[in-house]
Amino acid sequence: MLIKSQTEYKIKSPPEDAISSVKFGPNTNQFLLVSSWDSSVRLYDVTTNNLRHKYSHEAPVLDCCFTDAVHSYSGGLDNILKTFDFNTTSESTVGTHSNAIRCVEYCSEVNGIITGSWDHHLKLWDPRTSLCNGSYNQGDKVYTMSVCGEKIVVGTAGRKILVWDIRNMAYTLQKRESSLKYQTRAIRCFPNKQGFVLSSIEGRVAVEYLDTNPEIQKKKYAFKCHRIKEDGLEKIYPVNAISFHPTHNTFATGGSDGYVNIWDGFNKKRLCQFHQYHTSVTSLSFSHNGSILAIACSYFLNEDNPPTPLPEDTIYIRTVTDQETKPKFSAS
Amino acid sequence: MGRKKKKQSKPWCCTVSLSLTRFRYCNREFEDEKILIQHQKAKHFKCHICHKKLYTGPGLSIHCMQVHKEAIDKVPNSLPNRSNIEIEIYGMEGIPSSDLKEHERQKVGTRGDSDDDDDEPAIKKPKPEGLLGTAPGVSVQGMVPGMMPPPMGMPPGIPMGPMMSMGHMAPPFMHPGMPMMPPPMAMMQPQSGAAKPLFPSAVPTSSPGAPVVGADFKPISSGATISAPPTTNNPGSSSASSSSDSLKVQTITTTGAASKIIHPSEDISLEEIRARQSKYAKCIPTKSSEGSSTPTSSTAEQVAVAVSAAHAVARQQEALNHAAFIQRFPVRPAGPPITMASIHGMAGTPVSTMSLVTPMRPAMLPGPPILGGHLMRPPPLGMPPGM
Repeated sequence: MLIKSQTEYKIKSPPEDAISSVKFGPNTNQFLLVSSWDSSVRLYDVTTNNLRHKYSHEAPVLDCCFTDAVHSYSGGLDNILKTFDFNTTSESTVGTHSNAIRCVEYCSEVNGIITGSWDHHLKLWDPRTSLCNGSYNQGDKVYTMSVCGEKIVVGTAGRKILVWDIRNMAYTLQKRESSLKYQTRAIRCFPNKQGFVLSSIEGRVAVEYLDTNPEIQKKKYAFKCHRIKEDGLEKIYPVNAISFHPTHNTFATGGSDGYVNIWDGFNKKRLCQFHQYHTSVTSLSFSHNGSILAIACSYFLNEDNPPTPLPEDTIYIRTVTDQETKPKFSAS
Repeated sequence: MGRKKKKQSKPWCCTVSLSLTRFRYCNREFEDEKILIQHQKAKHFKCHICHKKLYTGPGLSIHCMQVHKEAIDKVPNSLPNRSNIEIEIYGMEGIPSSDLKEHERQKVGTRGDSDDDDDEPAIKKPKPEGLLGTAPGVSVQGMVPGMMPPPMGMPPGIPMGPMMSMGHMAPPFMHPGMPMMPPPMAMMQPQSGAAKPLFPSAVPTSSPGAPVVGADFKPISSGATISAPPTTNNPGSSSASSSSDSLKVQTITTTGAASKIIHPSEDISLEEIRARQSKYAKCIPTKSSEGSSTPTSSTAEQVAVAVSAAHAVARQQEALNHAAFIQRFPVRPAGPPITMASIHGMAGTPVSTMSLVTPMRPAMLPGPPILGGHLMRPPPLGMPPGM
């Protein structure tokens, strides 16, 4: 009756350098897109645990996304946005930024690809024609962004948060300073589109609401996490990754401390914590129905004296249950 | 005393008392809920690793997950069809109604037999049935083990001295006890009522899963087993603004001697720092490595170059495409075409020869109009020729 279940396993033939991003396909528990510092983007079939496709950039790839089940977009330090068709296994260059492309997101509501770059700009691309439809200055390097319906929330260097309406990029809907005191590390929006979660390099996560009504804004809060106390010294780790459960509105965070936590943001509860992984968690992705969580682990501390050998780059596929991901009682 | 007993309930409480005595996971029946809860804790909600007794299935499962990193998918020692660990049952609280019905049905059929099982048929305490009947939630709470010294009303279960005599007076199977009971029950009522507020705060883990209770206090039993709910310190705007100055500095300052932020001191992203490593330097286009068709590209130009160089015709197409794209968005000013038009005009000159001389800015902003934005676009070059 007590079973140590096979809740997780490693992906075979993982990337050969740090993993920058993992993303599940739009309607599948099966296909996982992975971008890596080894300059490659890979498509894994996690059900059979094998590598299905791989294509390369000229430099490390920082982010990738699906637009549909068979098309991916990716960008990185080579400044190039590439697309790949898994049916025809053909790749093509869509366009470029003038500095590294840090984020690549797909907005289904307007059928557009959005890229964010260290060149301070956001660009909008039409997947049908692979042409740039617009470029928008964000005022600083784009570090992270997340699509929220027809809105996009952008986090830049200098702790700025910008909210745009993708349908009308003529002006910025909202421009905020991060409520966290340290550099913004990741932003992800609630599936219910009410708000977003923001993490910083200083082991802290904020839950914020898009509605500017003061009553709603009062609900925002932040909490500490991903900290390890040893010998009286508290080590505070960057929170590198956030991924929302697609239906429960709960989210997982992954830190450089190697832990993954799942939180119920509306009820201010931690739902669970997994065991400590062997090195930093750099990316997380729930599958479309929330039953699987992909956990990318790569050494990412950039210490002056990195450990040797470097911890191996690993992707864990973990089956999660409602018990781990569902709010314990319904939010009022 | 009798732990499996039951029937006498008939007269008074019907459903509630009936169901009260039976336990979901193994179908044993108990004299009262207190013992049932003890049984649950000892038999079904005990951690097999550290033997800690939890209060509910989900509580146990979370405990194992959190403390031992093990997943439990069944309630220990449970019947095969009743092993769902996700149902939050505490005592008689939270039992799915389908189970209750089923149980009652069975009970009717087996009543005669089960009588024989009672080792101590005589003593069925009138027990809190009345109470339960009126306010199940409350009475359950009152029953929390350890919380409440049995009031003189002697709750169930373990009939003590004085009560015994009562028992004698009132043969169990008739309800002669009835008349006598009122006093004890009356006493219990206030008592359990008083216990209620104390209970949740003192023993949060034991709160039954009932939503009603949950809403009032610590909502969920399992919540208490989670050691670190998010702290709610709100980095107010004041702190944020006050600190912003120091943060503008390009370094990250750790908050105090007792803590250390595990991040390079430079306040740029980990990716930027990593990208400087020599092993990546060779593949990063610094000046000219990419944008294949235009060797002259400096970073600022690459965008325009790449977009324009590839296809001269593309300009036109892009403009059209852009217009189409925009049309999908309702709230669009007429601006974009303008921009596009102007770009088009500029780029319309031999694109392949495009060089540093070509004004880059507009080319970088082929998009929708950024009127009055923070973009550095030069003032509109002209009004849209109209697309």
